[in-house]
Amino acid sequence: MEDVKAYIESGILELYVLGDISPEDKLQVEQMAAQYPDIKAELNDIAASMERYADEHAIEPAGQLRQKIMNSLLVNLGDDRNFIKQRRHTDEEEFEDDKIITLPQRTQFYKYAFAACLTLLLISIYGLVNLYSKLQDSNIQIAALQADKTRFANQVNLMDSQLDMYRDTSFKVLKLKGMPKSPGAAMVLAWSPVNKKVMVDVQSIKLPQHDQKHQYQLWALVKGKPMDMGVFDNPTGKDTAGVKEMKNVALADGFAVTLEPTGGSINPSLDHMVVIGQF
Amino acid sequence: MQRREKIAAEALYDMYSASLYGVIVRIVIHEELAEDVLQETFIKIWNSFNSYSAEKGRLFTWMVNIARNLSIDKVRSKDFRNQGKNQELENNVTFIDEQRNTVYNPELLGIRDMVANLKPEQKSILDLVYFKGYTHVEAAEELGIPLGTIKTRLRMAIQQLRKYFNE
Repeated sequence: MEDVKAYIESGILELYVLGDISPEDKLQVEQMAAQYPDIKAELNDIAASMERYADEHAIEPAGQLRQKIMNSLLVNLGDDRNFIKQRRHTDEEEFEDDKIITLPQRTQFYKYAFAACLTLLLISIYGLVNLYSKLQDSNIQIAALQADKTRFANQVNLMDSQLDMYRDTSFKVLKLKGMPKSPGAAMVLAWSPVNKKVMVDVQSIKLPQHDQKHQYQLWALVKGKPMDMGVFDNPTGKDTAGVKEMKNVALADGFAVTLEPTGGSINPSLDHMVVIGQF
Repeated sequence: MQRREKIAAEALYDMYSASLYGVIVRIVIHEELAEDVLQETFIKIWNSFNSYSAEKGRLFTWMVNIARNLSIDKVRSKDFRNQGKNQELENNVTFIDEQRNTVYNPELLGIRDMVANLKPEQKSILDLVYFKGYTHVEAAEELGIPLGTIKTRLRMAIQQLRKYFNE
Protein backbone atom coordinates (compact mmCIF):
# COMPACT_ATOMS: atom_id res chain seq x y z
CA MET A 1 0.00 0.00 0.00
CA GLU A 2 2.96 2.23 0.77
CA ASP A 3 4.20 1.64 -2.74
CA VAL A 4 0.92 2.80 -4.20
CA LYS A 5 0.98 5.96 -2.13
CA ALA A 6 4.57 6.70 -3.13
CA TYR A 7 3.67 6.04 -6.76
CA ILE A 8 0.79 8.48 -6.52
CA GLU A 9 2.94 11.11 -4.88
CA SER A 10 5.77 10.74 -7.38
CA GLY A 11 3.82 13.04 -9.74
CA ILE A 12 3.88 10.55 -12.62
CA LEU A 13 0.07 10.42 -12.71
CA GLU A 14 -0.06 14.17 -13.36
CA LEU A 15 2.43 13.83 -16.19
CA TYR A 16 0.34 10.94 -17.55
CA VAL A 17 -2.77 13.12 -17.65
CA LEU A 18 -0.81 15.97 -19.24
CA GLY A 19 0.41 13.57 -21.92
CA ASP A 20 3.98 14.42 -20.98
CA ILE A 21 5.19 10.86 -20.54
CA SER A 22 7.23 8.24 -22.36
CA PRO A 23 5.38 5.30 -23.97
CA GLU A 24 6.96 2.86 -21.48
CA ASP A 25 5.88 4.92 -18.44
CA LYS A 26 2.48 5.36 -20.00
CA LEU A 27 2.03 1.58 -20.26
CA GLN A 28 3.20 1.18 -16.65
CA VAL A 29 0.68 3.75 -15.38
CA GLU A 30 -2.10 1.97 -17.25
CA GLN A 31 -1.08 -1.36 -15.75
CA MET A 32 -0.92 0.12 -12.25
CA ALA A 33 -4.30 1.77 -12.71
CA ALA A 34 -5.81 -1.53 -13.81
CA GLN A 35 -4.30 -3.21 -10.76
CA TYR A 36 -4.96 -0.61 -8.03
CA PRO A 37 -8.35 1.12 -7.77
CA ASP A 38 -6.73 3.92 -5.71
CA ILE A 39 -4.48 4.83 -8.58
CA LYS A 40 -7.37 4.68 -11.02
CA ALA A 41 -9.42 6.99 -8.80
CA GLU A 42 -6.49 9.37 -8.41
CA LEU A 43 -5.98 9.47 -12.18
CA ASN A 44 -9.63 10.19 -12.73
CA ASP A 45 -9.53 12.99 -10.18
CA ILE A 46 -6.52 14.61 -11.79
CA ALA A 47 -8.05 14.30 -15.25
CA ALA A 48 -11.35 15.75 -14.02
CA SER A 49 -9.53 18.73 -12.48
CA MET A 50 -7.58 19.40 -15.65
CA GLU A 51 -10.80 19.16 -17.59
CA ARG A 52 -12.34 21.75 -15.30
CA TYR A 53 -9.21 23.87 -15.60
CA ALA A 54 -9.44 23.77 -19.39
CA ASP A 55 -13.12 24.53 -19.06
CA GLU A 56 -12.28 27.65 -17.04
CA HIS A 57 -9.92 28.71 -19.80
CA ALA A 58 -12.29 27.84 -22.59
CA ILE A 59 -12.46 30.23 -25.53
CA GLU A 60 -15.43 30.07 -27.82
CA PRO A 61 -14.16 29.69 -31.39
CA ALA A 62 -15.64 31.83 -34.17
CA GLY A 63 -19.25 30.94 -34.99
CA GLN A 64 -18.75 30.06 -38.64
CA LEU A 65 -16.09 27.52 -37.69
CA ARG A 66 -18.75 25.18 -36.34
CA GLN A 67 -20.40 24.60 -39.74
CA LYS A 68 -17.02 24.32 -41.45
CA ILE A 69 -15.83 21.64 -39.03
CA MET A 70 -19.19 19.83 -39.13
CA ASN A 71 -18.91 19.65 -42.91
CA SER A 72 -15.37 18.38 -42.78
CA LEU A 73 -16.39 15.69 -40.30
CA LEU A 74 -19.47 14.52 -42.14
CA VAL A 75 -18.01 14.74 -45.62
CA ASN A 76 -14.94 13.26 -43.97
CA LEU A 77 -11.89 14.16 -45.94
CA GLY A 78 -9.78 11.97 -43.74
CA ASP A 79 -10.39 8.37 -44.51
CA ASP A 80 -12.68 6.81 -47.05
CA ARG A 81 -12.76 3.44 -45.36
CA ASN A 82 -14.05 4.99 -42.16
CA PHE A 83 -16.50 6.97 -44.17
CA ILE A 84 -18.04 3.88 -45.68
CA LYS A 85 -18.06 2.07 -42.37
CA GLN A 86 -19.81 4.85 -40.51
CA ARG A 87 -22.36 5.77 -43.08
CA ARG A 88 -24.65 2.83 -43.08
CA HIS A 89 -27.70 4.01 -44.91
CA THR A 90 -29.99 2.74 -47.59
CA ASP A 91 -30.71 4.40 -50.92
CA GLU A 92 -34.09 5.64 -49.74
CA GLU A 93 -32.57 7.54 -46.83
CA GLU A 94 -30.56 10.60 -47.71
CA PHE A 95 -28.10 12.60 -45.66
CA GLU A 96 -28.10 16.35 -45.81
CA ASP A 97 -24.64 16.42 -47.33
CA ASP A 98 -25.26 13.54 -49.70
CA LYS A 99 -24.32 14.39 -53.19
CA ILE A 100 -27.06 12.78 -55.22
CA ILE A 101 -25.47 11.60 -58.40
CA THR A 102 -27.65 9.94 -61.00
CA LEU A 103 -24.68 9.57 -63.34
CA PRO A 104 -24.15 5.82 -62.80
CA GLN A 105 -27.52 5.07 -64.39
CA ARG A 106 -26.67 7.28 -67.33
CA THR A 107 -23.29 5.70 -67.85
CA GLN A 108 -25.11 2.36 -67.78
CA PHE A 109 -27.36 3.67 -70.53
CA TYR A 110 -24.41 4.84 -72.60
CA LYS A 111 -22.75 1.50 -72.12
CA TYR A 112 -25.74 -0.29 -73.64
CA ALA A 113 -26.12 2.33 -76.36
CA PHE A 114 -22.48 1.89 -77.28
CA ALA A 115 -22.85 -1.87 -77.41
CA ALA A 116 -25.93 -1.50 -79.61
CA CYS A 117 -24.11 0.89 -81.95
CA LEU A 118 -21.19 -1.49 -82.22
CA THR A 119 -23.49 -4.40 -83.03
CA LEU A 120 -25.25 -2.35 -85.69
CA LEU A 121 -21.93 -1.31 -87.16
CA LEU A 122 -20.76 -4.92 -87.40
CA ILE A 123 -24.03 -6.00 -89.01
CA SER A 124 -23.78 -3.11 -91.48
CA ILE A 125 -20.20 -4.01 -92.41
CA TYR A 126 -21.21 -7.63 -92.92
CA GLY A 127 -24.16 -6.52 -95.09
CA LEU A 128 -21.96 -4.18 -97.13
CA VAL A 129 -19.38 -6.87 -97.80
CA ASN A 130 -22.15 -9.22 -98.87
CA LEU A 131 -23.72 -6.62 -101.15
CA TYR A 132 -20.36 -5.74 -102.63
CA SER A 133 -19.59 -9.33 -103.62
CA LYS A 134 -23.06 -9.67 -105.11
CA LEU A 135 -22.52 -6.43 -107.04
CA GLN A 136 -19.23 -7.80 -108.39
CA ASP A 137 -20.99 -10.97 -109.54
CA SER A 138 -23.70 -8.90 -111.20
CA ASN A 139 -21.14 -6.73 -112.99
CA ILE A 140 -19.39 -9.80 -114.33
CA GLN A 141 -22.72 -11.19 -115.54
CA ILE A 142 -23.62 -7.89 -117.16
CA ALA A 143 -20.27 -7.78 -118.96
CA ALA A 144 -20.83 -11.35 -120.21
CA LEU A 145 -24.37 -10.47 -121.32
CA GLN A 146 -23.13 -7.37 -123.10
CA ALA A 147 -20.48 -9.38 -124.92
CA ASP A 148 -23.19 -11.86 -125.91
CA LYS A 149 -25.44 -9.05 -127.03
CA THR A 150 -22.73 -7.48 -129.18
CA ARG A 151 -21.99 -10.86 -130.74
CA PHE A 152 -25.66 -11.42 -131.49
CA ALA A 153 -26.07 -7.89 -132.84
CA ASN A 154 -23.09 -8.43 -135.16
CA GLN A 155 -24.52 -11.72 -136.29
CA VAL A 156 -27.92 -10.13 -136.92
CA ASN A 157 -26.27 -7.35 -138.96
CA LEU A 158 -24.40 -9.94 -140.98
CA MET A 159 -27.55 -11.94 -141.55
CA ASP A 160 -29.32 -8.76 -142.60
CA SER A 161 -26.66 -7.94 -145.17
CA GLN A 162 -26.87 -11.52 -146.47
CA LEU A 163 -30.64 -11.27 -146.66
CA ASP A 164 -30.28 -7.94 -148.49
CA MET A 165 -28.12 -9.76 -151.02
CA TYR A 166 -30.85 -12.32 -151.68
CA ARG A 167 -33.57 -9.67 -151.80
CA ASP A 168 -31.59 -7.65 -154.33
CA THR A 169 -32.88 -8.93 -157.70
CA SER A 170 -29.83 -7.61 -159.54
CA PHE A 171 -27.60 -10.33 -158.02
CA LYS A 172 -26.76 -13.23 -160.24
CA VAL A 173 -25.72 -16.49 -158.64
CA LEU A 174 -22.87 -18.35 -160.34
CA LYS A 175 -21.72 -21.87 -159.52
CA LEU A 176 -18.00 -22.44 -160.15
CA LYS A 177 -17.17 -26.05 -161.01
CA GLY A 178 -14.03 -28.11 -160.59
CA MET A 179 -11.37 -28.55 -163.28
CA PRO A 180 -10.19 -31.97 -164.47
CA LYS A 181 -7.36 -31.79 -161.91
CA SER A 182 -9.75 -31.15 -159.07
CA PRO A 183 -13.13 -32.58 -160.00
CA GLY A 184 -14.58 -32.34 -156.43
CA ALA A 185 -13.92 -28.64 -156.10
CA ALA A 186 -16.83 -26.19 -156.18
CA MET A 187 -17.98 -22.82 -154.83
CA VAL A 188 -20.83 -20.34 -155.26
CA LEU A 189 -20.63 -16.58 -155.70
CA ALA A 190 -23.13 -13.80 -156.37
CA TRP A 191 -22.48 -10.80 -158.58
CA SER A 192 -24.54 -7.71 -159.08
CA PRO A 193 -23.59 -5.82 -162.23
CA VAL A 194 -25.72 -2.88 -160.96
CA ASN A 195 -23.89 -2.58 -157.62
CA LYS A 196 -20.65 -3.99 -159.01
CA LYS A 197 -20.52 -6.19 -155.90
CA VAL A 198 -19.09 -9.68 -155.80
CA MET A 199 -19.88 -11.88 -152.80
CA VAL A 200 -18.40 -15.35 -152.18
CA ASP A 201 -20.64 -17.77 -150.30
CA VAL A 202 -18.06 -18.97 -147.77
CA GLN A 203 -20.21 -21.93 -146.64
CA SER A 204 -20.26 -23.26 -150.17
CA ILE A 205 -16.47 -23.31 -150.69
CA LYS A 206 -15.26 -26.85 -151.33
CA LEU A 207 -11.63 -26.41 -152.44
CA PRO A 208 -8.56 -28.59 -151.80
CA GLN A 209 -6.52 -27.71 -148.71
CA HIS A 210 -3.53 -25.43 -149.30
CA ASP A 211 -0.39 -24.76 -147.26
CA GLN A 212 0.63 -21.59 -145.37
CA LYS A 213 2.54 -20.17 -148.32
CA HIS A 214 -0.43 -20.14 -150.71
CA GLN A 215 -3.86 -18.52 -150.96
CA TYR A 216 -6.72 -18.77 -153.35
CA GLN A 217 -7.23 -15.81 -155.69
CA LEU A 218 -10.47 -14.91 -157.46
CA TRP A 219 -10.37 -13.68 -161.02
CA ALA A 220 -13.08 -12.06 -163.12
CA LEU A 221 -13.00 -12.84 -166.85
CA VAL A 222 -13.57 -9.55 -168.58
CA LYS A 223 -13.71 -9.90 -172.38
CA GLY A 224 -11.46 -12.95 -172.19
CA LYS A 225 -8.88 -11.34 -169.87
CA PRO A 226 -8.48 -12.23 -166.15
CA MET A 227 -8.92 -9.42 -163.63
CA ASP A 228 -7.82 -9.65 -159.96
CA MET A 229 -10.75 -9.80 -157.52
CA GLY A 230 -8.78 -10.39 -154.31
CA VAL A 231 -7.52 -13.35 -152.30
CA PHE A 232 -9.28 -15.58 -149.77
CA ASP A 233 -8.44 -18.58 -147.60
CA ASN A 234 -10.07 -21.96 -147.49
CA PRO A 235 -12.60 -21.54 -144.67
CA THR A 236 -11.61 -23.15 -141.37
CA GLY A 237 -14.11 -24.59 -138.87
CA LYS A 238 -13.99 -21.41 -136.74
CA ASP A 239 -15.10 -19.17 -139.56
CA THR A 240 -18.66 -18.04 -138.94
CA ALA A 241 -18.96 -15.48 -141.71
CA GLY A 242 -21.59 -16.47 -144.24
CA VAL A 243 -20.32 -14.41 -147.17
CA LYS A 244 -17.14 -12.58 -148.09
CA GLU A 245 -17.22 -9.46 -150.21
CA MET A 246 -14.58 -9.27 -152.93
CA LYS A 247 -13.41 -6.41 -155.16
CA ASN A 248 -15.94 -4.65 -157.40
CA VAL A 249 -16.45 -5.32 -161.04
CA ALA A 250 -19.09 -4.00 -163.49
CA LEU A 251 -18.59 -6.31 -166.41
CA ALA A 252 -17.69 -10.01 -166.32
CA ASP A 253 -18.16 -13.05 -168.51
CA GLY A 254 -17.22 -15.46 -165.81
CA PHE A 255 -15.13 -16.09 -162.69
CA ALA A 256 -12.28 -18.43 -161.85
CA VAL A 257 -10.11 -19.29 -158.82
CA THR A 258 -6.40 -20.13 -158.92
CA LEU A 259 -3.96 -21.14 -156.21
CA GLU A 260 -1.32 -18.42 -155.87
CA PRO A 261 1.52 -17.55 -153.47
CA THR A 262 0.27 -15.72 -150.35
CA GLY A 263 -0.75 -12.17 -151.16
CA GLY A 264 -1.82 -13.03 -154.69
CA SER A 265 -0.25 -12.55 -158.16
CA ILE A 266 -0.66 -10.03 -160.94
CA ASN A 267 -1.32 -12.70 -163.54
CA PRO A 268 -3.08 -15.94 -162.77
CA SER A 269 -1.14 -19.23 -162.82
CA LEU A 270 -3.52 -21.03 -165.12
CA ASP A 271 -1.91 -24.39 -164.25
CA HIS A 272 -3.26 -24.01 -160.78
CA MET A 273 -6.80 -23.12 -161.61
CA VAL A 274 -9.19 -25.05 -159.37
CA VAL A 275 -12.69 -23.89 -160.32
CA ILE A 276 -14.25 -21.87 -163.12
CA GLY A 277 -17.78 -20.74 -164.03
CA GLN A 278 -19.11 -18.73 -166.99
CA PHE A 279 -22.39 -17.02 -167.80
CA MET B 1 -21.37 8.22 -30.31
CA GLN B 2 -19.66 5.39 -32.19
CA ARG B 3 -22.14 5.68 -35.04
CA ARG B 4 -20.85 9.16 -35.69
CA GLU B 5 -24.00 10.62 -36.96
CA LYS B 6 -24.53 14.28 -37.41
CA ILE B 7 -26.10 14.75 -33.99
CA ALA B 8 -23.16 13.09 -32.31
CA ALA B 9 -20.68 15.27 -34.17
CA GLU B 10 -22.57 18.39 -33.19
CA ALA B 11 -22.82 17.32 -29.58
CA LEU B 12 -19.12 16.56 -29.47
CA TYR B 13 -18.30 19.93 -30.97
CA ASP B 14 -20.66 21.89 -28.72
CA MET B 15 -19.39 20.17 -25.61
CA TYR B 16 -15.67 20.37 -26.20
CA SER B 17 -14.80 22.92 -28.91
CA ALA B 18 -14.38 25.86 -26.52
CA SER B 19 -12.21 23.95 -24.03
CA LEU B 20 -10.04 22.51 -26.80
CA TYR B 21 -9.81 25.82 -28.62
CA GLY B 22 -8.71 27.47 -25.35
CA VAL B 23 -5.77 25.09 -25.16
CA ILE B 24 -4.97 25.27 -28.90
CA VAL B 25 -5.06 29.06 -29.18
CA ARG B 26 -2.71 29.45 -26.20
CA ILE B 27 -0.14 27.21 -27.87
CA VAL B 28 -0.55 28.34 -31.47
CA ILE B 29 -1.44 31.98 -30.63
CA HIS B 30 -2.49 32.77 -34.19
CA GLU B 31 -6.26 32.63 -34.41
CA GLU B 32 -6.36 31.55 -38.04
CA LEU B 33 -3.89 28.73 -37.48
CA ALA B 34 -5.63 27.81 -34.21
CA GLU B 35 -8.87 27.40 -36.13
CA ASP B 36 -7.09 25.11 -38.60
CA VAL B 37 -5.71 23.08 -35.73
CA LEU B 38 -9.15 22.83 -34.11
CA GLN B 39 -10.50 21.46 -37.37
CA GLU B 40 -7.64 19.00 -37.68
CA THR B 41 -8.20 17.98 -34.07
CA PHE B 42 -11.86 17.20 -34.61
CA ILE B 43 -11.12 15.28 -37.80
CA LYS B 44 -8.51 13.23 -36.01
CA ILE B 45 -10.80 12.58 -33.05
CA TRP B 46 -13.58 11.62 -35.44
CA ASN B 47 -11.48 9.26 -37.51
CA SER B 48 -9.68 7.54 -34.65
CA PHE B 49 -12.66 7.28 -32.35
CA ASN B 50 -12.43 3.51 -32.45
CA SER B 51 -9.03 3.65 -30.76
CA TYR B 52 -10.48 5.42 -27.72
CA SER B 53 -11.70 3.25 -24.89
CA ALA B 54 -13.31 4.52 -21.72
CA GLU B 55 -11.12 2.23 -19.66
CA LYS B 56 -8.00 4.20 -20.54
CA GLY B 57 -9.33 7.38 -19.00
CA ARG B 58 -11.55 10.36 -19.54
CA LEU B 59 -12.62 11.27 -23.05
CA PHE B 60 -11.53 14.88 -22.63
CA THR B 61 -8.03 13.84 -21.54
CA TRP B 62 -7.69 11.79 -24.72
CA MET B 63 -9.02 14.64 -26.87
CA VAL B 64 -6.98 17.40 -25.27
CA ASN B 65 -3.82 15.36 -25.79
CA ILE B 66 -4.66 15.08 -29.51
CA ALA B 67 -5.29 18.83 -29.62
CA ARG B 68 -2.06 19.61 -27.79
CA ASN B 69 0.04 17.33 -30.00
CA LEU B 70 -1.40 18.82 -33.19
CA SER B 71 -0.84 22.34 -31.81
CA ILE B 72 2.78 21.60 -31.01
CA ASP B 73 3.24 20.06 -34.46
CA LYS B 74 1.80 23.21 -35.98
CA VAL B 75 4.06 25.51 -33.95
CA ARG B 76 7.10 23.52 -35.03
CA SER B 77 6.00 23.27 -38.68
CA LYS B 78 7.42 25.31 -41.55
CA ASP B 79 3.93 26.68 -42.08
CA PHE B 80 3.97 28.38 -38.72
CA ARG B 81 7.50 29.74 -38.95
CA ASN B 82 6.77 31.19 -42.39
CA GLN B 83 3.71 32.89 -41.00
CA GLY B 84 5.91 35.40 -39.17
CA LYS B 85 8.26 35.99 -42.10
CA ASN B 86 5.47 36.58 -44.58
CA GLN B 87 4.04 39.52 -42.71
CA GLU B 88 4.41 42.75 -44.61
CA LEU B 89 6.61 45.29 -42.86
CA GLU B 90 3.82 47.84 -42.51
CA ASN B 91 1.60 45.25 -40.88
CA ASN B 92 4.19 44.24 -38.37
CA VAL B 93 3.18 46.63 -35.64
CA THR B 94 -0.45 45.60 -35.62
CA PHE B 95 0.54 41.97 -36.05
CA ILE B 96 2.71 42.05 -32.97
CA ASP B 97 0.03 43.91 -31.06
CA GLU B 98 -2.45 41.24 -31.97
CA GLN B 99 -0.07 38.60 -30.74
CA ARG B 100 0.39 40.41 -27.47
CA ASN B 101 -3.34 40.75 -27.09
CA THR B 102 -3.82 37.05 -27.59
CA VAL B 103 -1.23 36.25 -25.00
CA TYR B 104 -1.87 38.86 -22.38
CA ASN B 105 -5.52 39.76 -22.68
CA PRO B 106 -6.90 38.53 -19.35
CA GLU B 107 -10.39 38.19 -20.74
CA LEU B 108 -9.22 35.94 -23.56
CA LEU B 109 -7.36 33.75 -21.12
CA GLY B 110 -10.56 33.46 -19.09
CA ILE B 111 -8.69 33.88 -15.81
CA ARG B 112 -11.02 33.87 -12.84
CA ASP B 113 -10.87 34.11 -9.08
CA MET B 114 -9.59 30.61 -8.70
CA VAL B 115 -6.28 31.68 -10.16
CA ALA B 116 -5.69 33.43 -6.89
CA ASN B 117 -5.62 30.05 -5.22
CA LEU B 118 -2.62 29.04 -7.27
CA LYS B 119 0.78 30.25 -6.24
CA PRO B 120 2.49 32.00 -9.18
CA GLU B 121 5.28 29.43 -9.45
CA GLN B 122 2.72 26.58 -9.52
CA LYS B 123 0.61 28.27 -12.14
CA SER B 124 3.53 29.15 -14.37
CA ILE B 125 4.69 25.54 -14.50
CA LEU B 126 1.19 24.18 -15.02
CA ASP B 127 0.51 26.68 -17.81
CA LEU B 128 3.85 26.05 -19.46
CA VAL B 129 3.07 22.37 -19.71
CA TYR B 130 -0.67 22.56 -20.25
CA PHE B 131 -1.02 25.64 -22.39
CA LYS B 132 2.38 26.19 -23.92
CA GLY B 133 3.15 22.67 -25.01
CA TYR B 134 6.32 22.38 -22.96
CA THR B 135 7.41 19.04 -21.60
CA HIS B 136 8.24 19.11 -17.89
CA VAL B 137 11.90 18.61 -18.90
CA GLU B 138 11.78 21.69 -21.14
CA ALA B 139 9.99 23.63 -18.39
CA ALA B 140 12.76 22.70 -15.94
CA GLU B 141 15.37 24.05 -18.35
CA GLU B 142 13.34 27.17 -19.12
CA LEU B 143 12.86 28.03 -15.44
CA GLY B 144 16.25 26.72 -14.24
CA ILE B 145 14.62 24.45 -11.68
CA PRO B 146 15.49 20.78 -10.95
CA LEU B 147 13.21 18.15 -12.51
CA GLY B 148 12.05 16.85 -9.13
CA THR B 149 10.94 20.32 -8.08
CA ILE B 150 9.06 20.73 -11.34
CA LYS B 151 7.21 17.49 -10.75
CA THR B 152 6.37 18.43 -7.17
CA ARG B 153 5.13 21.89 -8.15
CA LEU B 154 3.08 20.43 -10.97
CA ARG B 155 1.50 18.00 -8.53
CA MET B 156 0.89 20.73 -5.97
CA ALA B 157 -0.74 22.94 -8.55
CA ILE B 158 -3.08 20.21 -9.64
CA GLN B 159 -3.82 19.30 -6.01
CA GLN B 160 -4.76 22.93 -5.47
CA LEU B 161 -7.07 22.83 -8.46
CA ARG B 162 -8.73 19.69 -7.18
CA LYS B 163 -9.32 21.29 -3.84
CA TYR B 164 -10.76 24.37 -5.52
CA PHE B 165 -13.06 22.47 -7.82
CA ASN B 166 -14.26 20.15 -5.08
CA GLU B 167 -15.24 22.95 -2.76
